[in-house]
Amino acid sequence: MTTHTPHVDVHSGAHTGTTNYLNNTSGFMSWAGTLDHKRIGLMYLIGVSMAFLAGGIFALLVRLHLWSPDGALFTNEAYNQIFTLHGAFMVFLFVIPAIPASLGNMVLPLMLGAKDVALPRLNLLSFYLWVTGAALAMYSILAGGFDTGWTFYAPYSLYTNQAVISIGLGIFILGFSSIFTGLNFIVTTHKLRAPGLTWFRMPLFVWAIYATSILQVLATPVLGITVALVALERTYHIGIFDPRLGGDPVLFEHFFWFYSHPAVYIMVLPAFGIISECVSVHSRKPLFGYKMIAFSSLAIAIISFLVWGHHMFTSGQSTYAMFAFSFLTFFVAIPTAIKEFSWVATVWKGSIDLNSPMLYTLAFLIIFAIGGLTGVILGVLNVDIHLHDTYYVVAHFHYVMMGSISLAFFAGLHHWWPKMFGVMYNESLAKLACAIIFIGFNATFIPQFIMGSRGMPRRYAEYAAEYQPFHQASTIGAMILGCGVALMFGYLLASLFAGKKAMQNQWGGVTLDWMTPTPPPLENFHQTPVWRGEVYDYSTLDLRSTQTPVS
Amino acid sequence: MSHDGHHSIVIPAPGPEFVPHTVAHHFDSPVQEFQACKLGFWLFLATEILLFGGLFAAYFYFHEAYPETFRLGGQQLNWKLGAVNTTVLLLSSWTMAMGVRSAQTSQKKATILFCWLTVLGAAIFMGIKFVEYKAKYEHGFLPLFGGFEVADWFKDTHHVMKDVPHGHMFFAIYFTMTAIHGLHVLIGAGLILWIIKGASKGRFHAGYYLPVDLVGLYWHLVDLIWIFLFPLLYLVP
Amino acid sequence: MSSHPDTAHAHAAHAHAAHGHGEGHHHVASAGLFLKVLIALLFLTGITVGASRVDFGSANMLIAMLIACVKASLVIAIFMHVWWDTAINKIMFLGSFLFLSLLFAFTLADQATRSWDGPISVQRAPVAEQWHHPALADKKP
Ligand SMILES: [Cu+2]
Repeated sequence: MTTHTPHVDVHSGAHTGTTNYLNNTSGFMSWAGTLDHKRIGLMYLIGVSMAFLAGGIFALLVRLHLWSPDGALFTNEAYNQIFTLHGAFMVFLFVIPAIPASLGNMVLPLMLGAKDVALPRLNLLSFYLWVTGAALAMYSILAGGFDTGWTFYAPYSLYTNQAVISIGLGIFILGFSSIFTGLNFIVTTHKLRAPGLTWFRMPLFVWAIYATSILQVLATPVLGITVALVALERTYHIGIFDPRLGGDPVLFEHFFWFYSHPAVYIMVLPAFGIISECVSVHSRKPLFGYKMIAFSSLAIAIISFLVWGHHMFTSGQSTYAMFAFSFLTFFVAIPTAIKEFSWVATVWKGSIDLNSPMLYTLAFLIIFAIGGLTGVILGVLNVDIHLHDTYYVVAHFHYVMMGSISLAFFAGLHHWWPKMFGVMYNESLAKLACAIIFIGFNATFIPQFIMGSRGMPRRYAEYAAEYQPFHQASTIGAMILGCGVALMFGYLLASLFAGKKAMQNQWGGVTLDWMTPTPPPLENFHQTPVWRGEVYDYSTLDLRSTQTPVS
Repeated sequence: MSHDGHHSIVIPAPGPEFVPHTVAHHFDSPVQEFQACKLGFWLFLATEILLFGGLFAAYFYFHEAYPETFRLGGQQLNWKLGAVNTTVLLLSSWTMAMGVRSAQTSQKKATILFCWLTVLGAAIFMGIKFVEYKAKYEHGFLPLFGGFEVADWFKDTHHVMKDVPHGHMFFAIYFTMTAIHGLHVLIGAGLILWIIKGASKGRFHAGYYLPVDLVGLYWHLVDLIWIFLFPLLYLVP
Repeated sequence: MSSHPDTAHAHAAHAHAAHGHGEGHHHVASAGLFLKVLIALLFLTGITVGASRVDFGSANMLIAMLIACVKASLVIAIFMHVWWDTAINKIMFLGSFLFLSLLFAFTLADQATRSWDGPISVQRAPVAEQWHHPALADKKP
């Protein structure tokens, strides 16, 4: 019994019955010691979701504190710690690993027709490095917390009397977790593609993860050496970043942003990949400008190494360097706009299925347009001098990091949920949650754009009374957003126990991830598949042969 | 056609003193395994380049800011010991290259011998490094025991750096770079010992010498970094 | 891409691997070449020391780095077998130097052009001396 589509030979092996990666072995060690990319991806999914919930709770505490101009809840010192925890948890424990390590791990080998990632033991090691980094972050909270902001700017981070070394070590370790994941995916993409699956037949999610991985491998080591130097400064006061000792804090910012600007693309490129998949599958159309999207991922990866100084326009860097960085920043907009245009052109006149993954995708398209364009505004040198370190910046990067990346993550979660677990969530609740999240998100951050452009500085525990209406609107928005996210996690978890059985190929996808049994068996494919024909060719898919319920 | 994954591919041993190698089951062929692991290791070495690169950028940054400090600081180091250590590392890089070559040509005894010579080189290097660190510590140049202020470790006992601005800056860079490099020497030596253990069991031969190859690459990288550290620190231009 | 699990095929793969036909990654360099490279490296170390004794002004740095680059190229090309390695391995490893050069270029260019600024740098310069962290209120730098 085999499932054939005209353009790909896959033996789905219905004879193996109900054995899949979730139930083929059991017991604690079968998970803790697993080398299966799907189980590792699932453990990452649990981990990053917990980090997201923790970071989200910190965010809500920040918003509640800002309800009144003199700070409603905490001392100023505690407030500093809480916004730092929000940033550090969200950036290092959630957004950076979220899509590549969880969904990427789960789906990338499936899409390539591989049995596993190229280096499965390294994959498990990266997961445990992530766990160690998370444990160090928790330890740092217990050891008194840290109040430097997620950016750890010198010289404050060199002197503050808090647990900076332990969180620095945590970030160093998380960095290597990220490096090893990226390294693994590059090797997997190069060496483990199924026969016939050439570079320009790969799904765009693979292209996006590949470009991300290059950034992870090349940029993250510089973050590692930067936090190592901060730790050395704190123990020995060697003086490299310390202006009192002849060092230069601007050098810290160069090092930090050499990583952290590309890191924005480590976060957002995988989101682009998910959107490319969702846009194509749920519009039932091949992607408009496939090659342009593929190449624009690489272009973004390369350009992102040339623009880091736009975070330092008020830091005392040379005026001439600022000219160059501002000028180069505009080039990021070109490949990004190519993507946005291609997605919209794909949806255009497609037979759109307005299911929940597609709704999250459409929400992404709107929010990312705003997030991206406000970034161009901030790249203008003289405008940034005014807007630097205001809520305008906060709103901009939340439109990118929360609004775009998290929504894409949710889209991917809803898209591959039936694949991963063989069950479907409650679709009406999913649509409702998507609407609540979209409304709550905009209600939170549109007021921040306004008050930011009027001069409200970020990271302040207290503020002038004239900003109170904006802060209160933002806090109400954050509560709505929080309810939407809670609802989403609620029905997703409920589906594991009471969900309907999913279809073998729930959405009628034509990439290899939809050609395996659902949920996939241990080594994904009973025989190495052979790919023929073009990518995203929906004309060849016989829906009746693939949309059978999971046995 | 492809196999169904239940049978493993085995690379046979070329002689009785060797053991066969079983290709990891998720690879389709020995070539795929070799190339995947090697590409992965090259990417890892690329991360090492970027990691050390940050330190080199800091070196050039402060060399530009305080040229006199760096010139005078460099003169406090013993360039003869530095040159000896450079020679030792270059020799050990050669023995490692020969060790990999011996594994490639299934010469078990030569592989083990060359690897031991490389470990010997690492030991001499670290020994000389220890002598240097000890001398610098006695001169009040090295931060070995922590302190809240720079004055706690930069004592400049003989007041040689008193006329240049921020005299500790050169030694801060010297200490950071050589300490992290030294850590890599120790890790490399440990890896080579692990290779020696595997080689004595006959695991490495013409059909399968991947671990020897990769550890060799790591060791050459350690050498590569020192090639730049020696002129920059001991012969400050 | 295909392979049979039987030993005959594995043996063929092994023979293929051992003799390195076509793939270009199982090259066995001659011991003589390694020795020549070692001698060249030691010779260049001597040159480095010698050149540092002569005052070429600001060119000393350039000369030292050029010699180091030649030595590094020898180690990379011959000892690390990059000369005979596959294209993708070459790109990945040598590409890292390209990205590193971006870190160098922008950071050092910022430093080099900072003094070109006019009044802004006059305002900025004293910050280093004036800055005190609250935690150090009782300690004067
Ligand atoms: Cu940026």
